[in-house]
Amino acid sequence: MQDPYACLGVSRNASEEEIKKAYKALSRKYHPDANINNPNKEQAEEKFKEIQAAYQQIMKERTEGYSYDANRGYGGGYGTAGGQGGSYGGFGDFGYGGFGGFGQQGQSTGYEEEPRLRAAGNYIRSGYYKEARTTLDGMGQHERNARWYYYSAIANSGLGNNVAALEHAKKAAAMEPDNADYRNLAARLESGGTWYTQRQAAYGYPTMGGGNICLKLCIANMVCNICCGSGGMCCGGRGMYY
Amino acid sequence: MFGYIIVNKAEMKFKEFDIYHAYYCGLCQKLREKYGVIGQLSLSYDMTFLLMLLTGLYEPETTVDSCRCVAHPFEKHEIRTNLFTEYIADMNVLFTCYKCQDDWEDERKLTRLIYGKLLSGKGRQLSSCYGEKIRSISLLMQDFAEAEREGTADIDTMAGLFGKVMAQIVACREDEWSENLSRLGFYLGKFIYLLDAYEDVEEDIRKGNYNPLKRKYEEPDFEEECRTILTMMMSECCKEFEKLPILENVEILRNILYSGVWCRYEAVREKRMKAVKTDIRKQQ
Repeated sequence: MQDPYACLGVSRNASEEEIKKAYKALSRKYHPDANINNPNKEQAEEKFKEIQAAYQQIMKERTEGYSYDANRGYGGGYGTAGGQGGSYGGFGDFGYGGFGGFGQQGQSTGYEEEPRLRAAGNYIRSGYYKEARTTLDGMGQHERNARWYYYSAIANSGLGNNVAALEHAKKAAAMEPDNADYRNLAARLESGGTWYTQRQAAYGYPTMGGGNICLKLCIANMVCNICCGSGGMCCGGRGMYY
Repeated sequence: MFGYIIVNKAEMKFKEFDIYHAYYCGLCQKLREKYGVIGQLSLSYDMTFLLMLLTGLYEPETTVDSCRCVAHPFEKHEIRTNLFTEYIADMNVLFTCYKCQDDWEDERKLTRLIYGKLLSGKGRQLSSCYGEKIRSISLLMQDFAEAEREGTADIDTMAGLFGKVMAQIVACREDEWSENLSRLGFYLGKFIYLLDAYEDVEEDIRKGNYNPLKRKYEEPDFEEECRTILTMMMSECCKEFEKLPILENVEILRNILYSGVWCRYEAVREKRMKAVKTDIRKQQ
């Protein structure tokens, strides 16, 4: 796969904004909807797919690079596997994991003595989180060792159960404090919060006055709801807080 | 909706707030146009966020009008409308119908039942446009109601069901962004559900209603745990958001996602802290 940055025509140090701008410009040119009458529309579509893939790869690295980099050696190719893809109709599982990087390393692969744990591990490596979940849930309370909690954490993460995922990862790390994999997983699941709080700094945090603003907005909302302006007039409720 | 997904006005530029309000007014107008005053009553700021999100992502042609505000008839302000305004208006009505049903079943509030019935009457034609979505959301709401009745479901399951409903609403079309938007909607939905549970936990305990945070409430680090959980949800939601190639009005959206969503949380927390202090003083 060629260099995604080269595909978008940006440098590796480009800011997120520059990358998004570059993507948008290219997308407008090569998007299938923009090339309906183009005799070379198949090439345009191929190019569009390349651009899309390049953009998504870069952005995935940028948003999850925080912890992704640490596990880079474990390879991607993991993506959003796990049952159906983005099924539009049903309430399908569209891979909440965004995990990338769990995989073959040191202590975690190799043999599992317990056949069900081994099965769960295999399911997880292939991205079948629901099946992993079912297998794990079939095991009794007394059989739930650190390894069980580790796998459970990953399965939960893949299914979007991030609260349980963190709980279980912490439990695994607590049960076997010497295991680096378990510690790393817990740290990784927690790192999202750090990423978020760092970015939050730029937007301020609602202070004591925050409540008043909410109240004012709520009142304004109610006023708008009750307003029965005639002929297209719409209540702005603006006067409430200026 | 709930009024959780709002802006932190103090941290915004005036111009930015005007744009935000222009979309809000556009939505208001569309609701009145399609659903009358009944529909207008369901207007919320939460849906305005979604409208701006989809607008930022797809950059549709947006009409900018001006209108006079009833409260200030001499001052014109902007209204912005585009094709997503109608979609969001429809989704808003749909969602409010379900919420009314849920409120009726939970708390037997007659007003909610009546309003819900009136609204669904207005929204009858929606099933022809959004058949698939409505079916999926219906099934999810059924699962949701059942899980509430059983009262055993854990935090992730309950919040997750609501999250899936939001995902359906946010992912408006099947394209290269449906997965991102679905995940964004999913975690945003989980945040909304859990913030609502956090706000109502004491009342629910008193009334014996279901609340997934009831058990955690007994623990000493309840406040911190809730904060951690809510942050986890927003961080997953924002990761998906930052992956989207949104440039226009992105700062407004970021104000909401990184700051605005915490306004109500802080308000609730403050109220709770005050209540605790008052209790302590009473005991002394």
